[in-house]
Amino acid sequence: MKKTGRAVILILIPVLCIAAALVIGRYSLGLADTVKALFSPADVPAENYRVVWFLRLPRAVAAAMCGAALAVSGAAFQGVFRNPLVNSGLLGVSNGAGFGACLAIVFLGGGAYTYVLSFVFALLAVVLSYFSGRVAKVTTSVTLILGGVIVSSFFSALISIMKYMADPYSQLPSITYWFMGSFASINYTHFYAFIPMAAGMLLIFLSRWRINVLSMGDKEAAALGVDVKRYKFLIVGGATLATASAVCISGTIGWVGLVVPHIGRMIVGNNNVKLIPVSISLGACFLTVMDILARNLTTAELPIGILCAIIGTPFFVYLLKKTRGGGWR
Amino acid sequence: MILSLKDLSFSYGERPALSGVSLELGRGEVLCVMGPNGSGKSTLIDCVMGLHPGYGGTVALDGSSIRGFSRREIARRVAYVPQTHTVTFPYTVREVVMMGRTAYLSAFGTPSGDGEELCERAMRRVGILDLADKPYNSISGGELRLVILARALCQDTQLILMDEPTAHLDYRNELVFLEIVSELCLEDGISILIATHSPDQAFYFESHGVPVSAMFLKKGVTAAAGSPSGIITAQLLEDVYGVRAKILESGGEKTILLQRSL
Repeated sequence: MKKTGRAVILILIPVLCIAAALVIGRYSLGLADTVKALFSPADVPAENYRVVWFLRLPRAVAAAMCGAALAVSGAAFQGVFRNPLVNSGLLGVSNGAGFGACLAIVFLGGGAYTYVLSFVFALLAVVLSYFSGRVAKVTTSVTLILGGVIVSSFFSALISIMKYMADPYSQLPSITYWFMGSFASINYTHFYAFIPMAAGMLLIFLSRWRINVLSMGDKEAAALGVDVKRYKFLIVGGATLATASAVCISGTIGWVGLVVPHIGRMIVGNNNVKLIPVSISLGACFLTVMDILARNLTTAELPIGILCAIIGTPFFVYLLKKTRGGGWR
Repeated sequence: MILSLKDLSFSYGERPALSGVSLELGRGEVLCVMGPNGSGKSTLIDCVMGLHPGYGGTVALDGSSIRGFSRREIARRVAYVPQTHTVTFPYTVREVVMMGRTAYLSAFGTPSGDGEELCERAMRRVGILDLADKPYNSISGGELRLVILARALCQDTQLILMDEPTAHLDYRNELVFLEIVSELCLEDGISILIATHSPDQAFYFESHGVPVSAMFLKKGVTAAAGSPSGIITAQLLEDVYGVRAKILESGGEKTILLQRSL
């Protein structure tokens, strides 16, 4: 009973956040008008229908999905790599995606190429991290993380080259905006990214107990009966898929992958059986709400990556105080 | 035999760590494996857990060789208490002990009902039930050791491997740990292999009626094996450790008095 209750709450709150995102916006629509536009579009002005169905809904759903993906991947990486300070960009995903986006903007005129190339390079970066860590012929978490750091800085250098080469009046601003993150141009074609995103999140969700055991260290996990290599592959692979597909449609949104899991830890503790679903739900709520603010705080839209850090940081400090450090001593 | 090793050998690359080690351990018995740092004690434990697939010879648990066993199959037969445990996330004691049930879960399962019962029983067995809901980074080093032992008990195996389990424990906590280990052997019939630096622990088990044997490794080779009072002599300690020592006896109990290093 208690479990079902919790599951209902974890699903209901993000749905409510998305519902709020449909009502709130510059184009004024009341609750009644929104509901009408949503369920009987024939009876409302075409404008209302368009705003709800083709602007706000895809955008809110994308924000929720990306928030969930980034948060749950961050939680998974923290557990598997036994380091509470890492986020899902650890293995070079963010910089790989960034380089892919730059490549598309500078050479291919942006557009759909941006999504495809950023996704491909995000995956490529993680694969490179794995292999550059493996040259030592041992694969430990440290060599993998080291590989990630090296590949990240490699791609960050490539990004700088692209910025240097980019046209300063048209391409450079596009690149800069991409790195600030935004859901402004989301439409239903972006929903294809949900397929790898959902698959990745599902892998993490299913392996959530094993994340607990892996956080005891490789040797103890093996002694407890976990096939360490297999589960690390599943979990890191899942997190990579989820993060890469989130970053490719939203641009870089830092912060969520690091801090949302910690907010989850303060609320339900560190057991990943609870923390993983809570991170999914919290991440979805957090990014949906941030996107509402991004659209409405000022007349010109604010990049969501900036807002996350500016609003999220004091909120995090408040929680830290409230929970007396959340179990960290 | 719960555990039998025949002619076990293992090398880290070119460097041999164990060569030709054989031993047997029956139900409800303790085996103290001793030897200087780097003599192969931890490697032996790792081999029994199947962590070094490149070993030579035979490792058999309850009569069947572990070659071809999955991690889960091994973990249902043998549990492990490590020398040190690094706390990364402040899980509750209960959550940590529960991890002992992992080998009995389906590929994507999470522990439930009957696991919780076994978990409570394990915590009660080592006397930490009152700590169950505390974060396990807030308890003492001695208590942490017991949490890890409870996790091993929760794994419900015939055999537990302990790698210097009393390292860093104070006098009393060391004794408490040894008492619990004795009970596990005598009352629950669990077999325990302990890698230890203290031959006195072998004497402790012997004088408290626990079926115990001792084994000394030196550079990966068995230097001596047998009953503690039968093999632990001043000469052996000199050969294995390079120390001059006296073996004192009082009321049938033995202890070692170290004099100087050679």
